[in-house]
Amino acid sequence: MKTKKILTLACALALLIPGMILGEPNVSNDNLVLLPVPKDPTISFRIWFKVGSQNDPKGKEGLAELVASMLTEAATTKNSYEQILEKLYPLAAGYSNTMQAEMTVISGRTHKDNLREYYPLLIDAILAPAFKQEDLDRLKSQAMNYLENTLRYSSDEELGKAVLYNDVFAGTPYGHITTGTIEAVKSITLDDVKEFYKKHYTRDNLVIGLGGGYEPALVEQLKLDLNKLPGGMVAEVPRPQPKPAGGFHVTIVEKDAPATAFSMGYPMNILRGTKDWYALAVANSWLGEHRNSSSHLYQVIREERGLNYGDYSYIEHYPGGGQRQLPPQNVGRRVQLFEIWIRPVPNETRHFSLRAALREYKMLVENGMTQGDFDLTRNFLKKYVLNYAQTTMERLGYALDDTYYGIKGSHLEMFREMMDKLTVKEVNEAIKRHWQYGSMNIAVITKDAESFRKALVEDALSPMTYATPKSDHVMKEDMEIVKFPVKVKPENIRIISVTDLLVK
Amino acid sequence: MRQRIPIILTLLFCWGSLVMAGSIFPYTYTIETLPNGLKVIMIPMESPGLVSYYSVVRTGSRDEVEPGKTGFAHFFEHMMFRGTKKYPGPVRDSIVTSIGASGNAYTSDDITAYYYNFAAEDLERVIELEGDRFQNLHYEEGVFQTEAGAVYGEYRKNITSPFAVLNEKMKELAYDVHTYKHTTIGFEADIKAMPQQFEYSKSFFSRFYRPENVVLVIAGDIDVKKTLGMVKRFYSGWQKGYVAPKVAPEPPQKGERTLDVSYPGRTLPILVVAYKWEAFDAKNRLLAATMLLGELAFGENSDLNKKLFLKEQKVQFLSPSFPTNRDQGLFQIYSMVKKVEDVPYVRDEVYRTIEAFKTKPVDAQKLNDLKRRNKYNFLMGLDTPSRVTGSLARVVAVTGGVEAIDDLYTSFDAVTAQDIQNAAQQYFVPERRSVIVLKGAQ
Repeated sequence: MKTKKILTLACALALLIPGMILGEPNVSNDNLVLLPVPKDPTISFRIWFKVGSQNDPKGKEGLAELVASMLTEAATTKNSYEQILEKLYPLAAGYSNTMQAEMTVISGRTHKDNLREYYPLLIDAILAPAFKQEDLDRLKSQAMNYLENTLRYSSDEELGKAVLYNDVFAGTPYGHITTGTIEAVKSITLDDVKEFYKKHYTRDNLVIGLGGGYEPALVEQLKLDLNKLPGGMVAEVPRPQPKPAGGFHVTIVEKDAPATAFSMGYPMNILRGTKDWYALAVANSWLGEHRNSSSHLYQVIREERGLNYGDYSYIEHYPGGGQRQLPPQNVGRRVQLFEIWIRPVPNETRHFSLRAALREYKMLVENGMTQGDFDLTRNFLKKYVLNYAQTTMERLGYALDDTYYGIKGSHLEMFREMMDKLTVKEVNEAIKRHWQYGSMNIAVITKDAESFRKALVEDALSPMTYATPKSDHVMKEDMEIVKFPVKVKPENIRIISVTDLLVK
Repeated sequence: MRQRIPIILTLLFCWGSLVMAGSIFPYTYTIETLPNGLKVIMIPMESPGLVSYYSVVRTGSRDEVEPGKTGFAHFFEHMMFRGTKKYPGPVRDSIVTSIGASGNAYTSDDITAYYYNFAAEDLERVIELEGDRFQNLHYEEGVFQTEAGAVYGEYRKNITSPFAVLNEKMKELAYDVHTYKHTTIGFEADIKAMPQQFEYSKSFFSRFYRPENVVLVIAGDIDVKKTLGMVKRFYSGWQKGYVAPKVAPEPPQKGERTLDVSYPGRTLPILVVAYKWEAFDAKNRLLAATMLLGELAFGENSDLNKKLFLKEQKVQFLSPSFPTNRDQGLFQIYSMVKKVEDVPYVRDEVYRTIEAFKTKPVDAQKLNDLKRRNKYNFLMGLDTPSRVTGSLARVVAVTGGVEAIDDLYTSFDAVTAQDIQNAAQQYFVPERRSVIVLKGAQ
């Protein structure tokens, strides 16, 4: 391990937040991130391997996720999976993986009392997977069920996000969701799993994250144990270079849907840690703060018009958005996704709703934020980010992400600082530099796809009527929305049946 | 792939595991009741300058006794964000935004809960805003009608899930007269008609949003005395006036009920075996024994799960759900089965397991492991203010306080192998049973 260097996360946050008790400053170098919290009766582990779905071999999309699951949800050479569950059970502890395009993190947490029993199970999961056929069969069956049934049928908004993601990054190493495709998963063998593990789970390809009330000896033990992994550098996957959509490119998924779900977006190169990212974070929060009524899109589409349950936007990929209130950790990536998420709207308002969303976005891109909106939003974010990392496990996740993004200090600390430093002018300049209107992928889950295709090609008016009276302001704005131009070239519209999705 | 267990299930389980989690609450708490009946539970704890503030209304879809009003408690939760004359919706929104609070609300059968997590320095602001809206809520009819559209949108986004369909059908099947017969989101026809219920909404507010029916739970970086002073300042003017709904008691079930349900999308078949249980009573040892039995018989470490999920690989998952309810709830066992022809086999395995629990005492080691697990679940689970308030909300709604937690842990400690056998014999009988098999389109 290299020389340790003091990270300022803990002490700086403690200064910012009165009464915050964080214990000793954490220490980090390239492959060790420590977050000691002596008063915490638990210990949190995050062992990060620099591997993800971008490393999936062609035709084996979904392999990286299956391998991660074969470590955390399957047997080791010491214990069957059944025995592992039995041993973990009385400890109320466990371990799992979060796995995205570039990062796979095996994380777990135990009470200090149980460390002696817990630790060997966790370390065996990483060092000594048994790779049994029956475990692979079970995990493949789960993945197949997710792709064939759950994702296609049980939540149209999750499906919309998956379609958008695959479209935006098509043809790049990011070009598939982590679970992969049906045919690829079907083809994965035990040999594929073993080879992938051997190649990517090496001692040279990992970062140890440890937090909570641990003793220093545990750090040494972890280093010692993880050094038992074979050496080997993993060749860097070329940076994905998704092609700009060039105009609106629409995928309409034909399905007997009770309502229409939209996800739209484009790849974005700006990453956290840079000033412009924080500027865009302000603009994005105003436009569409996740699951928050302060979102402007939410105000326009849900609050004033009652068309759906919520409308949000993102400047970082945000998996699992339907199930979480605050951002996930360890989704680090070199190319980001700008995304607008319109929750299902009545089918008869689909064209109008799409226009309403795009119109608001276009106005922001062209006109920027007002001073008043800027002031409100930065004040909001300055405090709101305090909610992002409340537990040791979450803070450790952020600390790993700081290492991923090469952030000296802490992203969350910088986030708060930037809210004081940025000006509305800088935010509006950043919008001009990094956001654009007009080149975008749009994923639509709906029924009667053909009629929607026709409406988009013709840029037909989308008259709007409401069952209940609306304010003059809304009625007046609607006159603009119904004719707001969103013209799509016929060759840029693809209609696909839901049964043909995610096949290969 | 672990995260993919449907959310509806995890929601149902969460209290089960929390309640079973230990025997001593690790924080000192203070309970005060204002003269108007408003109860305040304050839990100071170390936290990085954060406070979590819950307003628990002891009303949920259980209280929707009038025909045509299903889903109203949930709809009303939406209306609570529409502001007052002093702080109209947009003004309120901008204040909440300016303090960077993370907040939301949810409704279930026995509870409507509103929460904010925020920096300790903003506590007074939050107490003022919350005190104001619970007393002086004000909205115009147009706004009311528009919000009904958002609720319909919520229904539409949910209904594509087979679990939403199952939930609706199981309630309808298992209950005859009790309001647990309908879901919290309500029937689609009632949701469609919501825009016409403006006058009814005022009566709903006036009957249920009263201090005797609300409990505040405040945890985190707080000073009890100061907090109580602020609560008194902003809530003391709230007038009593709670009118308890006349919820019809469910008559005893006579005989098993079964139903086949078809789901328009594709899904693997899902089996649900439900048993009518008991209104929650923390001092009832038989009830505590049933909760332990649920884990032992159908939980992650149960023999049946190991058999069906790991060894035979006939199911995608097997999970028990034993939500605690104010009135007679349903104990349910869910399983997603890989092949439709295996559904009868899985169902019979569930029955066989129950019969075994009736006749053979549970292994002492397994019972001890479960008790140890509960202790550590408890110790590890309550580490942030929002987790503390979030965990307590349901027990507060169901029982009116937090004392039931200690009572329940005492009951858990006392549970013997014989109690578990008795619980199996008492509740897991065909007369109390409802069974649904949901199948997807081919």
